[in-house]
Amino acid sequence: MTISKKRSPLRVAGLAIVWLIVAADIALLIWIFLTSLRDTKDIFARPFALPTSAELGNYANAWGEGGFGAAALSSVLLAVVSSIAAVAISAPAAYMLARRRTRTSNSITMLFAMGLGVPGQVLLVPLFVAMASVGLVDTYTGLNLIYIGLALPFTVYLLTGFFAGVPLVLEEAAAIDGASGVRAFVRVILPVARGGLITAFLLHFIGSWNETLFAIAFMQSDDKVTLPVALVNFVKMQQFNGLDWGTMFAGMCIILAPMVALFAWMGSRIIQGMTVGIGK
Amino acid sequence: MTATLTPAPEKAPRRARASSGASRRRDSGPLERQQSRLFWPFVAPALLVYGLLFLAPIAYAAWTSLYRWDGMGEMEWQGLKNYWILWNDPNFASSIVNTLKILVIGGVITFLCSFLLTLVLREMRAKLFARSVLFFPNLVNAMVFGAVAGFLFSPDGPVNAVLGWVGVETPPKWLGTDNVFTLIMATLIWTATGYYTTIIMAAVDQIPPYLYEAAELEGASAWQRLRHVTIPLAWDVITVCAVLWTVSSVKVFELILLFGGSNAAEPPMQTWTTAVYVYASVFPTGSVPKLGLASAAALVSLVMVGLFTVLLRRLMRRDPIRY
Repeated sequence: MTISKKRSPLRVAGLAIVWLIVAADIALLIWIFLTSLRDTKDIFARPFALPTSAELGNYANAWGEGGFGAAALSSVLLAVVSSIAAVAISAPAAYMLARRRTRTSNSITMLFAMGLGVPGQVLLVPLFVAMASVGLVDTYTGLNLIYIGLALPFTVYLLTGFFAGVPLVLEEAAAIDGASGVRAFVRVILPVARGGLITAFLLHFIGSWNETLFAIAFMQSDDKVTLPVALVNFVKMQQFNGLDWGTMFAGMCIILAPMVALFAWMGSRIIQGMTVGIGK
Repeated sequence: MTATLTPAPEKAPRRARASSGASRRRDSGPLERQQSRLFWPFVAPALLVYGLLFLAPIAYAAWTSLYRWDGMGEMEWQGLKNYWILWNDPNFASSIVNTLKILVIGGVITFLCSFLLTLVLREMRAKLFARSVLFFPNLVNAMVFGAVAGFLFSPDGPVNAVLGWVGVETPPKWLGTDNVFTLIMATLIWTATGYYTTIIMAAVDQIPPYLYEAAELEGASAWQRLRHVTIPLAWDVITVCAVLWTVSSVKVFELILLFGGSNAAEPPMQTWTTAVYVYASVFPTGSVPKLGLASAAALVSLVMVGLFTVLLRRLMRRDPIRY
């Protein structure tokens, strides 16, 4: 690895291209943020200019009339509740599936893994009909349930991998100390697998924060829409009087901000979680 | 160089694993009994939720696809007629073609870019930082990129302004009907490359460095190292990535929805994918919902995933390499 100190022209070109893409990615994010502070007419006249003053008017517009404020609350509520529930339901199952390698256990593991290959649109009509028949369309409960169901295959898959890495001696020691199976799981295993649980929570949080297909199908009243739906509605609302780009960029920043924050805070954990288990 | 990588005898590890599993089952101590007693209480809730909210709906979709139904009135038996209607629907055909374009053309380009990036990133300073930045777009709702592209590529937008400075007088109609789907694919490739580069890099990091050192001592070029060390040793991961790509490309939805800042009720038809087709059949503008047809279209996309997965696994099967 250390041998290749010499720089061939091809390698220099490669490096240049990589840094160029990296710089462009960062520039795009910064540009979106700076533009969100500017007036729409000004944006079109000089797209790359800096904001003259930190105009927070766009944010006030987006948060209030644009509906992004109410939508942010819905998004937080849905992402948090469904993520906690999905992890809480998946963790015991994943633990048992990782520990017991019987034929039943293996086929259940396979059954969950098969769900990874199902595109969401297959479930759209059935879930809509089912939720409509029990009056859960356009409710937080309905969409939460859907997000929990959608999350199960991946969460179970991810956590099974994590639990498989927890040494068996822990339960043996707990059993010798007289702890019941449930107690050993809650007091010994879960704390050890905390990293996996946090990762599963994070990934599901990110997934439901950005989920659009089901949110747009199920949330119809303005006070319940999530952020992606608010963005779609905002664009549609402006169909006739020209798009207010400044406000739209502010709205997009509201969608982006938590993702940037999470990534800055726990980026390596997120990356690892989204790519883990694939290398095995 | 490849001679050092002897293919592992395939049966041996499997047999070893099987016998260790059997021996564990034989000594059923108190712990073992405890866990077998708790198996169903632990697994049942997840299985129940999964069955109700995931598996049953798939079966229900298959059943609905045989009916004509607007969601309100009576369901009318159609048999396989919905699939026949899809077969003859030019919009569905173009949705399928678009999805296949993403899957095949987009896939090939994404994987080429990912490998080239891996090649550069592997020996680069600050590679973790670069990797993180390249990965980040995967955390962003693709609608944001679609809307931003609408601004950047609008006829008097920034991209054309920059092109004007360097002397391009007649820039292409970026968001015109002929070009917009290419632009969508480019956006998709850009975000996905960051993701697959990360996965492939993780696999490449597992390859012992001495193999690269040996290759370099024998005068292998960067390309030869990729061809004879990296690709063979990361092959399993590449196979999984190909399957992942299949699933994710059939799901593409958000990116299309707002691309180019399109503010009509539905995105323009020449950009539809199968996911958009399903959505547009369930919530059409100005006509009654076609739930049976939507289910049939969704099932076609599910079958597509299945077929491609089987095909990819067949095509990409290799003897495992031990190192």
